[in-house]
Amino acid sequence: MSIGYLLMLSGWLLVLASLFLLAGLGQRLTFVVAGLLVELLGLILIALRYRSLQRGPE
Amino acid sequence: MTPDLCLICIILIPLAATGLALIHQGLGRSRSAAHAMLATLCSLAIVAIVFVLIGSSWMGFPGGLAHTLHVAGRSIDWLGAEPLFAIGLTSNLTHGPYPAFVLAFGIFAAGLASLIPISSGTDRWRLAAICAASALFAAIVFPLFAHWVWSNGWLAQLIPIFGLPAFTDLGGAAVLNILGGLAALSVAWILGPRQGKYADRIATAIPGHNIVQVLFGCILALIGWIGLDCAAAILFYRITYPEILLTVINALLSASTGCLAAVVTTQLRYRKPDASLSANGWIAGLVAGSAGCGRLSPLATIFIGLVAGAVVTLLVETLELRLFIDDPGGAISVHVGAGLWGVLAFGLFAPTTGSRPALILTQIIGIATLLGVMFPLIHILHRLLNKLVPFRVDADGDWQGMDIRELGAGAYPEFVVHADEFVPR
Repeated sequence: MSIGYLLMLSGWLLVLASLFLLAGLGQRLTFVVAGLLVELLGLILIALRYRSLQRGPE
Repeated sequence: MTPDLCLICIILIPLAATGLALIHQGLGRSRSAAHAMLATLCSLAIVAIVFVLIGSSWMGFPGGLAHTLHVAGRSIDWLGAEPLFAIGLTSNLTHGPYPAFVLAFGIFAAGLASLIPISSGTDRWRLAAICAASALFAAIVFPLFAHWVWSNGWLAQLIPIFGLPAFTDLGGAAVLNILGGLAALSVAWILGPRQGKYADRIATAIPGHNIVQVLFGCILALIGWIGLDCAAAILFYRITYPEILLTVINALLSASTGCLAAVVTTQLRYRKPDASLSANGWIAGLVAGSAGCGRLSPLATIFIGLVAGAVVTLLVETLELRLFIDDPGGAISVHVGAGLWGVLAFGLFAPTTGSRPALILTQIIGIATLLGVMFPLIHILHRLLNKLVPFRVDADGDWQGMDIRELGAGAYPEFVVHADEFVPR
């Protein structure tokens, strides 16, 4: 589950890095959206892990 | 700033808290109704004290003192540095009554946001844990993000730092609602579902015990939300008098369209309108509309409300049936789902003289910060707190109801509504 949280934090660092390192609007938008997608991936991983815990073994 | 009007708006905010309290206790079981209302009062009380003592210092106000970080030649304002215990309030007269207005608003805003997780933890979250979580929320979580957005923090200063428009949240869709909704998600994950909710891996419906109170809560919430939207927009965005009137109109429009969209969606899906989901649609409309309340056109607000109301019904179902998240009041779908849509919609529809993609980009940066920084922070704090003050009531308490277990008396002592607590298991 902690991998999910690390992914969320990594996504935000990607967003922040794009703001510091890139100047063009298009480049920034691409990397910010990519960072957001990484965060969503982390959130989905946490949600799936929680669901599997609640459902128990098949 | 119009001080008299701002004061009236701030005084209206507790009606939003009353509305949310009625909604979450009405959507819970009757055996936890008194507990839910007492938890609301205790949470508001603790938030008021903790926010004045600690949170107000870290939230600060625009033009106040702040901690800054210097990174790559840029100055990042990341935390307020006003004196603790609000001791600067009476002595610092250089800003006039403005800091006192921000403090008063902050108390009510933090209190309102701290009620949102109570909704997702209804029927199983212990009172002591609710109080402790509210204290953490008012001391750390809310002031941090409120400073970033409302007190000239780095999200409000994207223009000088990165050459982008400032992240905008006029009525608190992000600062109050998404933040509170993320706390609700964290609480729901830590607590797990109520006993019997997912027996045999199938979701069992546990209907709310008083839908009339829920719907009455919606009306109260509208009045409170108008006050909240207007007060925040006056204090932090200096909106003009016509924009204040537009805020009032937009609040009503977004709530109305959110509710109607939920009524139609549930009618189409279940052949009859669902009252509790329609109430969720009403609040979802308010939440989504609050991001751009004083700046968006009524037409854009109608569209935003319609989408929020329709989406929230689908989200409630997805969380409950597919992700096994037991959220009795629908707080996560309403406050996170509709809040995120509202913040993004501001970027899509707000009038701008600059670049539209840049405005969208800043709103996405705000969303990314909420998901990537605030949610992990909230969840880590909650998990640590759970070790010190266990969140979940024991199995017997879950079955008996929180009223008997924690308060020693039920909300409705003259009625024996549920006999199952007296049946041997």
